[in-house]
Amino acid sequence: MMSGTIANVRPPAAQLDGAKRRQVLRQYRRSQRRDSLRALALVAPLCVFLAVMFGWPLATMLTRAVSNDDFGAVLHRTSASLAEWDGTGTPSERVYADFAADLRQARDEQTMGQVTSALNFEWTGARSLLMRTVRQLSSEPENGWKEKLIETAPDWGNPDLWILIKRLAQPYTSRHFLAALDLEQAADGSIQGVGPEKAIYVTLFWRTLWVSAAVAGLCLVLGYPLATLLARLPLKTSNLLMMLVLLPFWTSLLVRTTSWMVLLQDNGVINSMLVWLGLVSDGNRLSLIFNVTGTLIAMTHVLLPFMILPLYSVMKSIPPSYVRAALSLGASPVTAFWQVYLPQTIPGVLAGTLMVFVLAVGYYITPALVGGQSGQLISNIIAYHMQQSLNWGLAGALGSLLLVGVLLVYWLFNRLTGGQGLRMG
Amino acid sequence: MALPAHISPMGRLAHYGYLIFCGSVLLFLIAPILVIVPLSFNAAPYFTFSREMLQLDPSAFSLRWYRDIVQNGMQNPNAAFGWAYLVDSWNNAQWIHSLKNSFVIAIATTILSMLLGTLAALGLTSPGMPARGLVTSLLISPMIVPIIITSAGMYFAFSTMGLTGTFTGLIIAHTVLGTPFVVITVTATLEGFDRNLIRAGLSLGASPVRVFRSVIMPLILPGVASGGIFAFATSFDEVVAVIFLADYDQRTVPRQMWAGIREQISPTILAMATILVLLSIGLLTIVELLRRRTERMRGTTL
Amino acid sequence: MAAVTFENVSKTYDGKVSVVDNLNLRVKEGEFLSMLGPSGSGKTTCLMMLAGFETATSGEIYLGERPISRVAPQRRNIGMVFQNYALFPHMTVAENLAFPLRVRNISKADIAPKVKRALEMVELAHLGDRLPAQLSGGQQQRVAVARALVFDPNLVLMDEPLGALDKQLREQMQYEIKRIHDRLGLTVVYVTHDQSEALTMSDTVAIFNFGKIQQLATPDEIYETPCNSFVAQFIGENNMFSGTICERGDGVCKVRLANGDQVHALTVTDAPVGATTLLSLRPERIRIDPPAADGWTITTGEVIEQIYVGDHLRVLVRVFGGHEFVVKVQNRSAGNGLTPGQKIRLGWRASDCRALDAAAGQAGAA
Repeated sequence: MMSGTIANVRPPAAQLDGAKRRQVLRQYRRSQRRDSLRALALVAPLCVFLAVMFGWPLATMLTRAVSNDDFGAVLHRTSASLAEWDGTGTPSERVYADFAADLRQARDEQTMGQVTSALNFEWTGARSLLMRTVRQLSSEPENGWKEKLIETAPDWGNPDLWILIKRLAQPYTSRHFLAALDLEQAADGSIQGVGPEKAIYVTLFWRTLWVSAAVAGLCLVLGYPLATLLARLPLKTSNLLMMLVLLPFWTSLLVRTTSWMVLLQDNGVINSMLVWLGLVSDGNRLSLIFNVTGTLIAMTHVLLPFMILPLYSVMKSIPPSYVRAALSLGASPVTAFWQVYLPQTIPGVLAGTLMVFVLAVGYYITPALVGGQSGQLISNIIAYHMQQSLNWGLAGALGSLLLVGVLLVYWLFNRLTGGQGLRMG
Repeated sequence: MALPAHISPMGRLAHYGYLIFCGSVLLFLIAPILVIVPLSFNAAPYFTFSREMLQLDPSAFSLRWYRDIVQNGMQNPNAAFGWAYLVDSWNNAQWIHSLKNSFVIAIATTILSMLLGTLAALGLTSPGMPARGLVTSLLISPMIVPIIITSAGMYFAFSTMGLTGTFTGLIIAHTVLGTPFVVITVTATLEGFDRNLIRAGLSLGASPVRVFRSVIMPLILPGVASGGIFAFATSFDEVVAVIFLADYDQRTVPRQMWAGIREQISPTILAMATILVLLSIGLLTIVELLRRRTERMRGTTL
Repeated sequence: MAAVTFENVSKTYDGKVSVVDNLNLRVKEGEFLSMLGPSGSGKTTCLMMLAGFETATSGEIYLGERPISRVAPQRRNIGMVFQNYALFPHMTVAENLAFPLRVRNISKADIAPKVKRALEMVELAHLGDRLPAQLSGGQQQRVAVARALVFDPNLVLMDEPLGALDKQLREQMQYEIKRIHDRLGLTVVYVTHDQSEALTMSDTVAIFNFGKIQQLATPDEIYETPCNSFVAQFIGENNMFSGTICERGDGVCKVRLANGDQVHALTVTDAPVGATTLLSLRPERIRIDPPAADGWTITTGEVIEQIYVGDHLRVLVRVFGGHEFVVKVQNRSAGNGLTPGQKIRLGWRASDCRALDAAAGQAGAA
């Protein structure tokens, strides 16, 4: 419709001569520009709003993941004088003096924590080392700070520690991203894997991936047959049954998660029923919650409508005559389903699977409540670093990796469907 | 669906198996929601049906958890029912406090989302819009980015703007999350809108303002309204952004439930959940009615 | 030998209204039979029962000698062309044609030549690699026909196959389908609501209304000698006017009209004297200034209006004190001198005016 309108408006420029033609063309362009400006003016408020309140926060998170601000800011004198040090032997007296001054200021302004936590993350015993050092700062040394500090703790004579401080004082760092991938930078600058006791994030990413894939698969297996039934039933019946799909969709996530906690608990409805039916003895109640099983069951339930709705809307648009045609041509019902019906529902399958997968990858509430230790996903660890460990750089790095992953999946989906985009019920 | 005569016994078996499977999936979908309703009337603080409940013994049922919603946090919960009791509950009860917050934030979010979303949808569907596809996908991107990432980013950005721990901050966050729904529903309505109706209105002698008021508005209103309800539900249900951005003063119902579940899950949460189920039934009904109205006008179904 | 037999077939969806009502029909080997009727008359339901997508509530359908109500659709070996073609959108044209052969486990080597021959038959040999969506409506239609024929079915069903095409293409396709039918000697059951399509293509036409066959006859019989008022009104144009039978003779009767005039008519109805009858008279059978001859009914009328159609003129004339008749006059020369208000003589052979049953009013026909 749109192109048709434009084609009608376009003046028959070829038939006009010289000046007249240019004038008509100019008027045409002006009217086009006016249309565009009006459209843009309508879109602008939301664009600006989202840029400030959504785009900027995301950008902030990305810069958090690479920035080293706190450390460098607190130790600003040290980092300035360390810049001239070539990294061989111990630094000059001036570096030690500046370091002492910075630490003293940090102690007075109570900003020591930022230095301590960053350093402690990479240098074992840095916390007690710094505390010991800070106590010695009150009096001026006789033979310069270098001697006094090394006297206090021999670590200060170790060039590796100073290389570390120099690296931490850079404005940008890759350490958060490395940490998010269970990697670290060794003292010599090379990248190596962290010890097995600290390597948890890659495992978590993999678990998030397989749990999401499993949830998407479960939703597809449960949702596909139901969607075909809903698409085939007469509208009156299917509308009624659709309510049973839509009610969970509209019900608060917390309500549904709560109700799964009630159902799945050791003393919950399901276990009580199984015991009552004699399928399970009272002592061996199934542990359905606070593990991966609970996460899988609850997330499948929560996300199932997101699978059924796009499937239904695609299936509803397939006229029954295709399967009839296949039958009339001699195909068995099974052949007709696999070769004629199923291929036509692929857009719905892709859209539904994508929806469920992407939502599952970023799920936080449900795994946090029913997942226990083994059912935690990447979102939960991001929240942990945001709220408990306060390692915001790491949280930002994990979040950025997750975001990139999600965008990749969308890009792949668009490639697969030829840019048709999502179809929701 | 009556089975035709030519179906084999195997086919018959497969057909009934299929129906039973679909029935089970529907049960899986709806059972968790139905189960909590009777449990919220449990007189005992357990999460399973007691023998007395199954025997429909009236003494096994009570409204105590609903009373708890009204009373918990009151200064004088044992006072006689009356004006003072209500005022006390309104001002001090925890759940009432979070309900008030939820409604304030959700209503403000709805208004803001409808305003921004409808304007944007009008722009997106107008003929001169450049780069329509790209702009649309940017505008609905808050739906795509995992909520934990959005919330974390907002926590960083909003703290520098002084928006954390404020109602304004929460309303903004929820508007970001809710507006895409308005954009999608209103765009869909407008795409189905026949522009000849505008021309017809003008040719019949109505002024452009009059045409907008008496022709365009009534036709796109159902779309705007369902978008608004989506935004309302999004805000009312949202908890992650609230966890990151809100203080106690802005605690919403889902946040209160979250806290309750993590600390000690009490049947009061089930009572609140039942109330929320009722609310979602109400919202769902309104959206369905709006959808059917639109379909009737287009003459497609029913 | 009959290719298809419907024996007392009834179909109801709700147990109350019969969509098809005790239907009996025989389709001969090699016959082109059209089912024609308004929508909801039961013709499509009949076709669907024949194809196996609906089950008769009672009665039996035979394919040759074999009762088929317990035969699954895919075992009936009936070719079908669907209303919107139902070409599988994810398969190319050639794959669509190969589908019925593949599911019959025919070897690849045998499939290719068959597909090629079928495509050549509909003159689309060069488009085998296209997807259906890349074809025009007419081309899709041909593919649908080719697909229904490629596996040499005993019988071909067509459900309004030309409904989606524009007028010119439709006429061309009518001719092509007819040609294929004649060449291959197929038995075809063809459902349509377009009467000219039914009349031009068929050997036999079955007119449906209210789930019953109103008349089963050759196209010319259907047009010339409709057996009841529904068929008369549904097929072609007719001047219909009612009166009371006042005399019944040998094949003819005398009918008194509302204004008291009396006309002679051919008796088709078996209604007795005194009953109401509906008279039908084709516009092209009325002559202006007729010769005074035996067996002619002559009356006078007043010209109301004259409409120019092109190859003929339609003259609206008020007769019998109020009835408006349409008279078709061939356009032989420019202007025939008729002006509104003019009084003219007009007449017709009494045998062209048919006295039918009085029930036509309730038929929801065109």
